[in-house]
Amino acid sequence: MNTFLAPETGTLEQAAELLLASAKKAGATHAEVCGTFSEQTRITLEKQDFHLASSNDGFQLGLRVMCGAKAGFASANSTAKDDLQTLAKQAVEIALFSPENALLAIGPNQGENEAKSFFPESDLHRFPLQKQKAWAQELMTCAVSAPRFRLNEGSVEVSSSLFLVASSLGTHKVEQEHQAGWSLMGMGVDGDNITSFDYFSEMARHSRDVGQRLSATTKAFCEDVVRGLKTGPGKSYKGFVFFSPRAVIDIFMSGLSTHLNGRSVVENTGKWKLTDREQKVLDAAVSLKDLPHALDRSGACRFDREGATTANRSLVDKGVLKSFVVDQYAANALKIPSTGNSVGGPAGLPSAGAHCLVLEGGKEPLKKLQEDIFSRQNECLWVNRFSGQVDSVTGDFSGVAKGAEWWVKGERAYYVKETLISGNIFECLGSALAHLSKETQVLHASWEAPTLISGAVSVTTK
Amino acid sequence: MKALAQRLEEVVQSSPHWAEIRYHRRTSQTVQVQKGLVKQAKSALTSGVGIRTLVNGTWGFASTSESSPASVEKALKQAIACAQSISEMKQAKVKALPETKMARGEFTLPGYDKLSKMALSDKLSVVREAEEKTRKRSSSIHSASCAYNEMFEDKIVVTTDGACAVSQLARNEFRLSAFAEKAGDRAVAHESVGKTGTWECLFEPRSWDNLSEQAAKLAVDLAGAGRVQGGLATLILSPGMVGLLSHEAIGHTVEADFVLSGSVAAGKIGTMVASPLITLLDGGQVPGAPNAGGDLLVDDEGIPTQNTEIIREGKLVSYLHNRESAALFGVEPTGSARAWLYYDEPLIRMRNTYIQPGKQSLADIIASTKEGYLVDGPVGGQADATGEFMFGAQRVSRIKDGKIVEFLKGATISGQAFEVLSTVDAVSQEFELDLGSGHCGKGQPAKVDAGGPYIRCRATIGGIQE
Repeated sequence: MNTFLAPETGTLEQAAELLLASAKKAGATHAEVCGTFSEQTRITLEKQDFHLASSNDGFQLGLRVMCGAKAGFASANSTAKDDLQTLAKQAVEIALFSPENALLAIGPNQGENEAKSFFPESDLHRFPLQKQKAWAQELMTCAVSAPRFRLNEGSVEVSSSLFLVASSLGTHKVEQEHQAGWSLMGMGVDGDNITSFDYFSEMARHSRDVGQRLSATTKAFCEDVVRGLKTGPGKSYKGFVFFSPRAVIDIFMSGLSTHLNGRSVVENTGKWKLTDREQKVLDAAVSLKDLPHALDRSGACRFDREGATTANRSLVDKGVLKSFVVDQYAANALKIPSTGNSVGGPAGLPSAGAHCLVLEGGKEPLKKLQEDIFSRQNECLWVNRFSGQVDSVTGDFSGVAKGAEWWVKGERAYYVKETLISGNIFECLGSALAHLSKETQVLHASWEAPTLISGAVSVTTK
Repeated sequence: MKALAQRLEEVVQSSPHWAEIRYHRRTSQTVQVQKGLVKQAKSALTSGVGIRTLVNGTWGFASTSESSPASVEKALKQAIACAQSISEMKQAKVKALPETKMARGEFTLPGYDKLSKMALSDKLSVVREAEEKTRKRSSSIHSASCAYNEMFEDKIVVTTDGACAVSQLARNEFRLSAFAEKAGDRAVAHESVGKTGTWECLFEPRSWDNLSEQAAKLAVDLAGAGRVQGGLATLILSPGMVGLLSHEAIGHTVEADFVLSGSVAAGKIGTMVASPLITLLDGGQVPGAPNAGGDLLVDDEGIPTQNTEIIREGKLVSYLHNRESAALFGVEPTGSARAWLYYDEPLIRMRNTYIQPGKQSLADIIASTKEGYLVDGPVGGQADATGEFMFGAQRVSRIKDGKIVEFLKGATISGQAFEVLSTVDAVSQEFELDLGSGHCGKGQPAKVDAGGPYIRCRATIGGIQE
C-alpha cells in the first residue's frame, strides 16, 4: 500500500474496529464492516460556460450483524465514537426483531491486505487545482468550438477514495484508488432542429493519460451528436437491425447480467438454473467475461463488497454457460463458492453483480458484415442507443432507438426519430444472431462490446 | 433544530460574500422480503452541511459531515475558495439573485412524528404478510417480493439575504412484485405506492391487500397474454401514464436550465403547445390530493414552493425556476431548487406534476373509442430535450367499437410530447397522482409524484411486426 491517505486509512480502520467491538458487546454473534472515505474536487460546466467548483470529502460506514441466524444492518456517515456505538446498537436491534435467515450469514475469513497496491502508481492524489482547471478549459474549448453542438453540462473531477471491508471472522482489507474523470452532456442544435441529449464519460488513473484522451474523446463525441441533425423517415419492418456497442451494452449485456446473477437463480426469476452450467444456452459466437482485474476500467477491484478475492472469469464461452456471478448470499443458498461478485457500498447491504463485463468480438470486420447484410436487405435500422425496458424475467425488450441511423444499400442515409424497437435478448443472441463485429468498443471506461446484428427485431415508426 | 438554525444563521451572516448554508439530516429504514425470507432490514443516517457561495458572479460549493460552527466556517471558506478558483474563467457572470420573499420559520408536513413512532418491526410484519399473501394467491405464482422504505428529512436553509427555514417531512414507499408462470410463459407484475406522511396515508385509497391482489392478478394475466401490433394508434392513457408524460416529456423540457440549453420548450412561452383541454401544473402541494409523494413546502434555496401553472388550456405560460434562472428570465423563482443530500448542489427539479381533470367519465371515453388501446401501469420512462419520450406500460387492453376486447402484454409508447398533447380530444373527470413511489434522476435523485386524469391521444405504440 502507498502512504497516501494514511490518516484517513487510520481513522477508517479505527472506526471499523470500534464497530466490530460495539456490535459484539451489543449481542452480535458476528459482524462485518464496509467503510469508505472519499475526497474530490470538481469543476462543472453548464450552458457553454463554467458553472461551479466544488470540494467534498467524507466517510461512510455500514455495519452488518448476525445474531445467530438473524441479520441487521445500519449505516452512517460519521466516525464519531458515540455515533458508531449507536449504529452498532441499531443494527443489533434490527437483527433481534428480524426472522431468521441463515442465508444472510457473513462470509468466511477472506484474509488480510496484500502488500502490493492493486492499482498502478498515480499522481492524482491532491492533484494541483491549476492543472485540473486546464483540463476543464480544454473540455470547454472542445465543446464550444464544435459547430452546432450545445453543451448542457460537463465536468472534470479528480478523486481519491478508500474502500475497507473488515469482519469479526478475520477479514481485513483496504484499498485506495485515485481517478480523474471527465464527462459531457449536450445536443446538436441547428435553428429549430435539435437532436436528443447524449452523454459520455471517461476516466484515467494517471494524469499522463488525461490530456490527449480528453481532447480526442470530447471532439469525437461532439461530432457524433451533431451528425444526428440530419433526419429523415424510417419504416416499420421485422428483420435485420444493427446495434452499436453502446446499444449492445444497454440492451443485451445489461439484460444478460440479470440472468447471470446468482440471486436470480436463487429466486427462480432468471432464465437459467445451476444445472444449465456447461450447457449451450446462446449462439456459439457469444463469449462473455467479467474482468475485475482490467485496471483501466472503472469497475476494477481486487476484492469485492464482502472482502472476497475477485478474478477475471468466463461467464459464457462460445455459447456455453460457464459461471454465474455469485455473492455470499447466493453462495450460501446455492451451496457453491462466492465468485467475488458482491457489489455495493457501505450505505446498503451487498448484492451480486458483474464488475466489468466484456462481450467478445467476432471474427469479421464490421465492413464485411455490412456487405453481407445489405446483400440480403436493402434498408436497415442502426441503433446507437436504447431508451426502454428489458423485462428481467422474459428477456423481452421494447423501447426507443435513440440516435438511430437509417441505412440504405450499405450507406448511412440519415437519422430517424420516434422509432421503436422490440425483440427478445435470448432470441437475438441465439437463433437470430447474425453477426458480432471484430471491432469492440469500451463505453464509459467500463463495459466493452462489439457491434451486433440480429434478424428478429420489430421496428415500428409513426 | 432551532438552536442549530440560529448558529448557522450567525455563520452565514459572517460571510463576506453571498452564501447559502443547508443542513440536512436524513434517516431512512428499509425492509424487504422475498419468497418468505427477509432479504433486508436496515437503517441509515446521512447528515451534514452543504454550502454554496456566489463570488464575483461565480458559484462555489463545499460540504462537511460535521455541523459544528468550526467545521461549517471551514467549509464556508472552502466554498469561497472554490468560487474564486474559477471566477476568471467564467464568461457570463451570475447576476445578483432576485430579491424575493424568502422563507422564514418552521415548515413541517404532517406525519413525521406519527410515522417515526411506529416500530419498524410492525412495518416488517405487514411486509411479510403482504409478500406471503401475494405468493399464495395463485398456483401460477412462483415467487413474490415486497419492500417498504421510509425517509425522514430534517433541513435548515439559511442565506445571507434572509432565508431561515427549518423543515421536516417523512416520505414512505411500498412495493410488491409477483412472478408468475403459465404453460412455460413467464411474467412479472409490480404494484407500488409512495406518499409524504403517515403509514395510514400510504394505503389510502388502496390498501396493501388490494395492491397484493392486483399484482398477483396482473402477473397471472400477463403470462400467456398476446402482444400488441406496433404502430401509430389511439391511446387512452391512465393517470399513471399521464403522470409519466407530464413529468418526463413536458416537465423536464420546461426546467429553465434545460430551456437555456435549448430544449424544445425554449422560446415557446405564450404559444399553443397542447390541446385546449390540457392544463398542466407542478406544485409543492396539489389541491385535493394531500400527502403526494413530491410534497414540499420550501425548496433548498429557502424559497416557498408555488403551485406553478406550466400549460394553461394548451398555452405554455411558465417554466420552472431556481433563483438564478428566475433572475435571467425576469420572473419570480418557483421554489423548484432541490438537492438530494447535503453534499449535492440544488438543481431545478419538479415536485408533483399533473394535468388537471376534465369533464368526461372514463366509461364514456372508452365507449366513444372505435379502435385503440387502454394503456396503464407505468414501469419507467425517459424523455429528452426534444420532447421525444418513451414510457413502458405493464397493462395494455385493446378497445374495439367502444369495448375492451382483449388483454395484452405490456408495451412501450413513444412520441413527441407537445405533438401528442395536441392530439388530446378527451380528458376524464377521474384523477389520481400515481407516481409517488418513483424517483426522478437528473444527476441526483429526487422524490417526485405525478398523475392526472385519463386522456385520449394519438401516439406510437411499440410491438411486434409480422
